[in-house]
Order: sequence, then structure tokens, then C-alpha cells
Amino acid sequence: MAVTGMRRHVRRSLLLVTVALFALASIGVASAQVGTPKPITDEARKIEDLWIFTLALAAVVFVVVEGALIYALVRFRKRNDELPAQTHGSTVLEFVWTGIPVLIVIALFTYSFIVLRDVENTAAAEDMTIEVQGFQFQWQFTYQLNDLGVNSDPAASGEISVIGTAAEEPTLVIPIDEPIEFRLLSNDVIHSFYIRDFLYKLDVVPGRDNRFVITARETGDYFGQCAELCGLNHALMRFKLKVVTRDEFDLWVAEQTGGTGDSAVRRAD
Amino acid sequence: MTSIVVPRPEGFAHPRPALLDWLTTVDHKKLGILYLYTTMFFFGVGGVLALLVRTQLAVADNSFVSNDAYNQIFTMHASAMLFLFIIPVWAGFGNYVVPLQIGAADMAFPRINALSFWLVPPAGILMFSGFLVDGGAAQAGWTAYSPLARGLGPGMDLWIIAVILLGISSTIGAANFMVTMFRMRAPGMTMFRMPIFCWTMLVTAVLQLLATPVLASALAMLYIDRNFGGAFFDPNGGGNAILWQNIFWFYSHPAVYIMILPGMGIISEVLPVFSRKPLFGYTAFVFATMGIGGLGFSVWAHHMFTTGAVLKPWFGFMTFMIGVPTGVKMFNWLGTMWRGSISFEAPMLFALGFLSMFLIGGINGTFSAAVPVDFALHDTYFVVAHIHYVLFGGSVFAVFAGLYYWFPKIWGRRLNERLGQAQFWLMFIGFNLTFFPMHLLGLDGMPRRIATYSNESGWEALNLASTVGAFLIATSMIPFTVAVVAAFMRPKDQPNDPWNANTLEWWTTSPPPVHNFDDLPEVHSERPLFDARHGGAGH
Repeated sequence: MAVTGMRRHVRRSLLLVTVALFALASIGVASAQVGTPKPITDEARKIEDLWIFTLALAAVVFVVVEGALIYALVRFRKRNDELPAQTHGSTVLEFVWTGIPVLIVIALFTYSFIVLRDVENTAAAEDMTIEVQGFQFQWQFTYQLNDLGVNSDPAASGEISVIGTAAEEPTLVIPIDEPIEFRLLSNDVIHSFYIRDFLYKLDVVPGRDNRFVITARETGDYFGQCAELCGLNHALMRFKLKVVTRDEFDLWVAEQTGGTGDSAVRRAD
Repeated sequence: MTSIVVPRPEGFAHPRPALLDWLTTVDHKKLGILYLYTTMFFFGVGGVLALLVRTQLAVADNSFVSNDAYNQIFTMHASAMLFLFIIPVWAGFGNYVVPLQIGAADMAFPRINALSFWLVPPAGILMFSGFLVDGGAAQAGWTAYSPLARGLGPGMDLWIIAVILLGISSTIGAANFMVTMFRMRAPGMTMFRMPIFCWTMLVTAVLQLLATPVLASALAMLYIDRNFGGAFFDPNGGGNAILWQNIFWFYSHPAVYIMILPGMGIISEVLPVFSRKPLFGYTAFVFATMGIGGLGFSVWAHHMFTTGAVLKPWFGFMTFMIGVPTGVKMFNWLGTMWRGSISFEAPMLFALGFLSMFLIGGINGTFSAAVPVDFALHDTYFVVAHIHYVLFGGSVFAVFAGLYYWFPKIWGRRLNERLGQAQFWLMFIGFNLTFFPMHLLGLDGMPRRIATYSNESGWEALNLASTVGAFLIATSMIPFTVAVVAAFMRPKDQPNDPWNANTLEWWTTSPPPVHNFDDLPEVHSERPLFDARHGGAGH
């Protein structure tokens, strides 16, 4: 009887240790992923700070509560048939564990409110506006030639338009270090304009004129994708993002317009 | 120790054939069993659909199923799991257990109860018959966002009608549960002596009564848009695409609590019994349940932060706030086990699975309440991880806790303990292997509801792990099935109260007679059986 009890004890402890290790491993894996994705805009960096703050609080809550749970299971497992003390509750404790979460909630809310205001602060005038048209099942990016940021010619007329097709994803080209506004339009169903490394998405809603402004701070090749189920080939609404220097951007514009400044439409086919 | 003799209703003079009896029964116990069979069947169907989803996503650029089929499969997976499994499975447990727990002979309206149940199978058949029609089954996701859902084939209409039928079922069921609990409690059982599972069913019923008709109105509008030239959700006809989301989530966020509160109730029955202590903070727990129910109506637009069409700070704040009563519950559960005498039978294991996994489901939800973080996470696999930590780690573990706990009462036999333990560990590990990687996939930018992903995305390894986990979960159903079959092959041998439990359902025989009770103990607390075992109230 004693041996069996011992074995049961060992087996249970092993199981509990497994659970504990599993939980710890989970945290380990999760924290190893901090920094993915790579925030490439001013806005994304603020969002990342908020994410890390939230993750830190979450980790503390997780460790404390899951730790208390595992401790209770080991410490208070049944050892004999004696009835434990029948405590029914504690008003003081109820107030404590209502109060502490309220404080955490207020801290989280305040910080996220500040970040929200910063991220959505479009008062800083944008240098250029890119019109993003979502359609089943690709994207069209349109640049007005008289609105191309610092080097644009206010007198220029026409536009550059990049349209994706089923065969080839379109590439969105933007210059670094300039506030850029995206204007999101749809004529069919709801899409969502999502670029992982912006840490941002905004829905593309028929009947709405949704806009957001970002300033990219790192050149490179990135990707984006529709994030709102929009029908059959939703999964294929992918696009590429290229963040380039101002010189490279001007070159790209010249390439698109054939150096004439007239309107040009390039099909990515 | 005094008992109250319950007057015995007159039975049928002649016993009816078994099949006819099951088809026409108005006995809450038989209807409860029918609910459980039906919903577990749809759990299996939804599970097979989930395996198809995971098989398609196991490797990059896969073509195991077409995009078209994929959209139908994941839509029907969620629809089956939410509308045909989780929501009605609580009606199943509630039907069987609530009248017994309050010492009643049946539900208040037995015929309405039968109607509630008999709406479920035809709704399920209608919804799945979409696979037979031109264009296939519904494929706009369980959320049926418009204008997308406006333009799809007739499978969408079948889906709409099915969900309306299920809505009627749960609305009239909700009224029935409310009246039953308000009017039919045993002598001495005040509202604040009612078992906690009943309380959670009561709050769930209130949510259903208030929220489900709103969903019905949205579905009716969508049906009109689709079939009679309406334009409620079509901006080209003067409608508003965001309107659907507002109405849908006004129902569907409270619906999340409809899907989890009774599970919390089951956990709150199991933990005290297997810790041999009363539920810590019973009253606080009741108010926390009401608090979750009330706040549940003020957070719907947190599903819509990226639409640009909602007041984000308000909904962000209210969403954070709902963590407070949820935290209270978590601490009360820990308080229940603290200094207890904990034993680890299968119902307890599943309850502990609930605690440890629902905790993660609560914590990872706060990321989406921080609005700017939600900009990154919304509509990615992070959210898929979140809902599964709540609805699988929470609700499904609670379903199995409830099945192992009440099986002896319902069927008079006990499920094999070893098989229960095997099921638990397979399911627990499989669950985490399936859903934990989804957090990382979401962070890494994988949107939900995509039929495939490119080789360059770097998402393949985590997806493969997730798929392996899904099949491990499927494997965990083998010991469960074996345990059920083995139990049914044995004679009924269970005493009234095999667990040393607390509530009235354990006072009567296992299974109970048609009229439930020959007599009842006096009720002086929320634990009448404990009082009876230990000589009166006051413990």
C-alpha cells in the first residue's frame, strides 16, 4: 500500500513537472519571438514598445497564476481522508484580487491610449498619398504625379498605377523617411491592407474612405497580404513592398513615366 | 435530517416502444441525452473538418483541397463547432443537470424543451446540405461578413436559415431555463443557494434571450439582401457594409460568453468536489458571472478595431475591464483548491486543463484589447490561437470534465479512469502543440482564413507542428470512445453519489427515476449533500 502510494506520488509529480516544463518552454519560445516582425516605421516602433510592455505584464500574470496553480496541485494533493478546513471565502481577498487587476487594466489602457493617439496622429502633414484599391483578388497602387513628395512637380499631370494580377504580385514602392498616406478603397467586398512589418492593418471597406499615415525608417524588401476573407482567392492577394531611398524612388518614377512626366500605367504581368 | 417527500406524477399506463419514446419524449433527462449525442456527433464532424484544414495547411503551396473547398471547410468547421456543438452542448448538460440540481421534476415547459431540441438536428442537416447544392456550402466564414456573404451561392441561404433555426432553439430554451430556475427550486433553495452551474446557465440564458434575436434580425436582413433585392449591407445600394459587423458582433460577442460561462459552471462544480472544499467566494463568483455577462454587451466592436469605423478607446477599455471579473473567477478557483485535499480523477484533470489553458486564453486576449497591438494581430493566426485557447482549452476541456463527472449519474456507469487519464494527456499535449504555434504564426504575419501560403513565408515548420498536434487531438478521442463503449457494455453499478459531491443531482439514484426524486433533503446552503453527510449546515 505504501509502495503503491509512493509510486502514484512519483508518477503524479512527474506529470506535474511535465506540465511545468511545458509551460516554461512555452514562455521561452514566446519570448524568443519578440522582435518578429521587424518594425520598420515610426508607428510600428511605438506599437512594438506597447507589445513588449503588454507581454511583460502578461508574462508576470502567467507565471504567478500558473505557478500558484502548480504549487497548489503539489502542495495540497490528497494525503489522507481528513476533511480540510471548510473556508468559504474572504472579502478582503476578493477586494485585493479585484483591485490589482483593475490597476493593471488602467495601466495597460493608459499606455495603449497614448500609443493609439500617436499612431493615428495624422496631423503631421503627409508628403504624398498613395491610393490603394483592393479588388477580388489583387491590389492596385496609384500615385499622382503632382503628389510624389519632396521632388514632385506640382504642375505635373497624370498618374502611375501598379496593378497586380493572378500571375504576378504587384510591388508597392515607397521612399524612406517621408510621411506617406495610404488611402484605401474598394468597390466589391471588404479587404484588409496588411503589412506585417508595419505592425499595422486597416480594412478596405466599400463605401468608406479609410486612410493612415506612416513614415518608414528602413529600406528593404517586405511583403503584405489581404487580411480579411474576401472570397475564393483571398489567400493569393499578396503584394511586395519595397522601401527605397529618395534617389531610388525618383529613378523608379522616371522609369514608370518613361522620363516624359506623362501618365503611364504599368501592368505587373 | 429531515426529508421532503416529493409528490410523484402519474406515468404512462402502458410503456411505449423505445424508439417512439425517444422521438416523443418531453423528459428533460432524455432530451438532455439527445442533445449530448447530437452535439457530440457534430463535434466529431467539426473535428474532421478541422483535420482537413490542418492537412491543407501542413505544407506550403499545398493543393490537397481547392481554395473553393477550403473556404467551405473552415466556414463549416467553425459553424458546426460553435452553433451545433458548443452552444447546444451546454443546453444538453443544462437540460439534464439543472432540474436535478434544483430538485425539480422537470423543466418548466417540457414540450417547449422538446421543440428546442428538435430544431437542432434539422438545422444541422440544412447547414450541411449546402455541400450538395450548386456553389457548395457557406464559405464566408462563420462571421458571414457582408458584402461578401451577399454574393455567394445558395449554400449561404441554407446556412442563414439553419442559424435562424438554432437561434429560435436557444431563445426559447433560454426562456425555459430562466423560468425553471426562477420558479421550480426545491424548498429552502434561495437564489444564493443555487448550485453555481445553475447560475452560469441562468446568466447564459439571459444573454441568449437578449442577444440571439439581434442575430436573427441581422440574418433576416442578409437574407433580404441576398434574395429580395435589399441593400442593408450594400454601399452601392445606399446600405452600409459595417452595419453587418456591428449587429453580428453585438450578438456574437455575448455569444462568446454563452459558449464559455456554462463551462466555467462545470469547472466550479468539479473543483470543490475534488478539492473537498466549498467553492471559494460563491457570492463573488455569482457577481463576477453577472459582471462578465453585463460587460459582454459593451465590447462587441473590439472585433472591429481595424475597420476604422468604431470608437476604439471605449471598446478597448471595456475589453480590458472584462478581464477583471474573469480574474476574480480564476482566483476563486485557486482559492477553492488552496489548502484543500486534491485528488486527480479524470473530471478533475479536465477541469485543471481548463484552468491552465483558459488562463492563457484570457491573457492572450489582452493583447487584442491594447488597440494598437490589435492592429498588428487582428485577423492573424494569433487570434485563431486566442479563440481556441478559450473555446477548446476552456469550453471543450469543460465539456469533457462534465462528461466524466456526470457520466455515472446519466448512465449509471463510470468511465474507465485510466482511459480518461490517457485521453486527457493526449488531448492536453495535442492541444498545445496545435494552438501554441499559432501565436507565433500570427506574430509572423500569417493571416487567418488563407487557403495556402507561399514557400517563402517561413511559416511551414510551425504549421506542420500544428497539424501534428491536431492529429494528436484526434487520437485522444480513441481512449474516450473505448471508455464509452466499455462502460455501456457493463451493467449499471453506480451508487447515488460516487464522488462525495455536493449538489442535489447526487441525492437521487444513478440514473434517476422518471420523476427524479422520491424525496429531497432540506436545503440550507449551496451544498445540501455535504450538509447531509456532515450533519447539518454550518460548515
